[in-house]
Amino acid sequence: MPEKAPLLIEMKNISKAFGPVQALRDVNLRLAPGEILGVVGDNSAGKSTLMKVMTGAYQRDSGDVLVDGQPTHFKSPHESRVHGIEMIYQDFALCGNMDIAQNIFLGRWPRRGLFVDRRRMYAEADSVLKRLKVDVNSVFQKVESLSGGRQQSVAIARAISFDPRVVVLDEPTANLSVMATERLLETMAELKQHGVAQIIISHRLTDIFEVGDRIMVMKRGQNVGDRYIAHTNEAEVLELIVSGTPETALTADQALAAKAA
Amino acid sequence: MSATSLSASPARRRLPLELIGGWEVGLLLFMALLYIAGIFINPKFFGQPDAFSAVLRDTARFGVMAAGMTFVIVNKDLDLSVGSTYGLVATVFSIAFSTSYYDLGIVPSLLAAIVAGVAVGLINGIFVTVLRVPSFITTLTMLFIGRGLVLGLTGGKTISYGEKATQNGAWFFSIGETNALGFNNQIIIFILVTIVGMFVLAKTRWGYETYATGGNEMAASYAGIPTRRVRIRGYVLSALSATLAGLMAVAQDKGITSQYGQGAELIVIAAVIVGGASILGGRGRLLGGALGAILVTLIDKVLREGIPMTRTMKVGGVEMQVQGMAQLPPGAVPAFLGLILLIAVLIEPWIIRRNVFPRLWARLRGRPLPPVIEVGGVAIEGAQTKGSSASDRSMRARGPLGRFFARRDAAAIVLAVVLWVVGLYLRPDFWGSIDNTFNLMLSFTEVGLLAIGMTYVIANGDIDLSVGSVLALSAATCAFFMKQLGFDPWTAVFLALLAGAAAGVVNAALTVGFGLPAFVATLGMFYMARGIGAWMTAGRQLSAFPESFNLLGRKLIDILTYLGIAPTRDTLLYDLAAAVSVQTIFMVLVAIIAGIVLAKTPFGQMIYATGGNRRAAEYAGINAGRVRAISLVFSALCAACAGVIYVAFLRSFNPSAGQLRELDAIAAVIIGGGSIFGGYGTIIGALAGAAVIALIRALLSLQIILGNGQSLVMPQHWVNVFIGLILMVAVVGDIWLRQNDVLGSIRHFFLARRKSGANHA
Repeated sequence: MPEKAPLLIEMKNISKAFGPVQALRDVNLRLAPGEILGVVGDNSAGKSTLMKVMTGAYQRDSGDVLVDGQPTHFKSPHESRVHGIEMIYQDFALCGNMDIAQNIFLGRWPRRGLFVDRRRMYAEADSVLKRLKVDVNSVFQKVESLSGGRQQSVAIARAISFDPRVVVLDEPTANLSVMATERLLETMAELKQHGVAQIIISHRLTDIFEVGDRIMVMKRGQNVGDRYIAHTNEAEVLELIVSGTPETALTADQALAAKAA
Repeated sequence: MSATSLSASPARRRLPLELIGGWEVGLLLFMALLYIAGIFINPKFFGQPDAFSAVLRDTARFGVMAAGMTFVIVNKDLDLSVGSTYGLVATVFSIAFSTSYYDLGIVPSLLAAIVAGVAVGLINGIFVTVLRVPSFITTLTMLFIGRGLVLGLTGGKTISYGEKATQNGAWFFSIGETNALGFNNQIIIFILVTIVGMFVLAKTRWGYETYATGGNEMAASYAGIPTRRVRIRGYVLSALSATLAGLMAVAQDKGITSQYGQGAELIVIAAVIVGGASILGGRGRLLGGALGAILVTLIDKVLREGIPMTRTMKVGGVEMQVQGMAQLPPGAVPAFLGLILLIAVLIEPWIIRRNVFPRLWARLRGRPLPPVIEVGGVAIEGAQTKGSSASDRSMRARGPLGRFFARRDAAAIVLAVVLWVVGLYLRPDFWGSIDNTFNLMLSFTEVGLLAIGMTYVIANGDIDLSVGSVLALSAATCAFFMKQLGFDPWTAVFLALLAGAAAGVVNAALTVGFGLPAFVATLGMFYMARGIGAWMTAGRQLSAFPESFNLLGRKLIDILTYLGIAPTRDTLLYDLAAAVSVQTIFMVLVAIIAGIVLAKTPFGQMIYATGGNRRAAEYAGINAGRVRAISLVFSALCAACAGVIYVAFLRSFNPSAGQLRELDAIAAVIIGGGSIFGGYGTIIGALAGAAVIALIRALLSLQIILGNGQSLVMPQHWVNVFIGLILMVAVVGDIWLRQNDVLGSIRHFFLARRKSGANHA
């Protein structure tokens, strides 16, 4: 495991303040291709802010975001999408009044001449859903009539239809039933097989331990630890969440070395 | 909102300025300056000590209404109907009291008036809370219904009862008199209401519940506050204060005109907002509202009183000094009041929350800048509320008929056909004729054109309340440039469209650029555009335009004749050209283009996406602001076209052009499948909805010949009341039938009952 491929995303010394509130302070994040990284921490730990800085929804105050080793300055989520970074929001960010296919192609509807190419849109949406093995009645169904799990499937289908290299999932299991959660975790494993790296923000350690490769703990806008899933347990991670400090933070490799020693 | 709570650090709070509230002090200072300016400009009026008391007396009624409105606005609601309520209450009292009507005693008359007022408040409150109709739609409709009722009840006549007032109920009419201390009793009522209101809002449970509901309704209801009751209470208080104000007015005037209370809502809302309340709810103080009322009334007075000036005229070789007043033409004052409303709404989010003045002061002194209070792209708009998750009926639909009925615009199409058949049944002689059909088409054209633009705006989740006024503005521009300045028709038409587009750009800048809710921005334009139009034409009717211009409103045959290429008589081509009018062709063209853009192109999809979930649309890379701005400008352009056609068709311009048309257009879009919450609406549906409106208007003004040979025509005021009712029914029907599928739930409920009943048996 220590010998790794070059990093897909590297965030170095990210800081971000909202007025007097320092939301992020010198945070680092590393993501290898095909890796599933869990980001955990208490409320207000800065997890979502860090992700929004990465996708360009927020602008950082200082620090660097490298994609494939190249420095980037995304002004909006739209720009990071071009680099293969997709985010799935907690509320899925779908338009309930439109149907599944229209949502999958939201904002980039295929055209023929001046018009939307409806036939191609519905055909391609259908094939994306088939690839995801989502059982919805039809691509013509309005999204507001779908259950939460199905809506999330649409959001994921939308994300993977861009052929992303990184998918960020913000609290993906918060609104789902047990069954839907199971299916989501299967989907994530399948995406990993296709080489898609994923970052999952969650309060539920069990989910991360089921599919994740590595887990990163944040507290009050700072890194407090980083561990390989295979070499840690929930108790240790909880310990970090509750009483970790930036001074005692170890990277996953350091922690592994310390354990070996 | 007061400056105290936001800009003060604990140390600064001890300053006396902060103690009494910087905002109120600023208002007082501004008022004093304005009054001095008034004295300077018009010493005749403002120089007298009486003037001060007259301003206060006239403020009293608005101040009382502002007290009630403060509750509504702090609740994060809006009450546009106070002016109508004020007029309605005065009318009900007058009709009950006047010897030429019911000739009741003073107490029963007062009771009738109060019952009417409370009823308006309850209806407003129930529609907004229980039936979940947005407040501006409910109260705007109530405004028009109330106005229609006043006109219908009085028949447009003035009622007075000065004689009876001296014998009966003198105690009541003394409210309007000047007391022994030398000022009007209304001022005492104003002060009393303000003090009681201040106490209730600041010190009692009612007040705390109001602030909580306006601040965060969901949190308030989780905390066990009956937010629904709180909001209904706000509306009832508002209606009650309008009732009190209406009664104060009749006590003073001992009679009414049918114009009573027109535009009062503008002064009252502007007063409350100027007084420091936030249109987004949760902030506002009654004292501010009262001071705001004085300030706005003062501005209104300064504008209305005019400037005395001396003109030198030569009469028969002798120079004569003529005393005159440079006055704003009637109808122009609302233009300023609308502007004040918009500026006042913008002050809170853009000046105070951004700490503009303290920052400027610090910058001048070279000190470190105090922080901006809220950052991080916080939109000042309230969260978009959605109906709820609906079941997708089109997925259950079977067969071509089922699929048709699953369409959101099906009801409008069916309704239009049914109404037409009803007309045919009532008056087969007249209804079936080609002439009538095309006359129908004409009245349909105006509503249709407005509804096309409105569809775009409503599908975006916005609203445009200004279409009727923009129609008037463009018509006025067109008439003014042709008639007064002698421009050629095409330049005048171009300028009229430009004026309309400018109004649309202002709407768009306010909603998208400054982040105001669309209904507030377009409400300001609602008053401004009509006011500017009236100003331009000096409130007069203009007519006699070049015939080449009038052709725009004629039949096709007139154009062909004008060009000298008319087909011979008694051919099919001739009949067709004689029947179809230019405006109908124009409207159909616009409809086809707008329909294709909305239904088939990516831009149309962007509109639906923006209306469905603006945040999601923005994440998907759609420039939602641009989409909304284009739609608002398009809507204003459609209204401007309708304005030009109006002038050409009627061959004259009347300042009341397009009045109530915003109601027709919104109703047409909602009936045609649009949702007031955005995300839905089609051009076909809007046209069908416009047809429904046009047919209802035609049916209601149909002369019905009764069995005894008498004929009956419904007066236009009652038709307007009816259209208002239709709009309410359409919005409620859309929310509950289309979006929440109440019928489906009821069917489910009974099916389940029957099933369980069968199991029991």
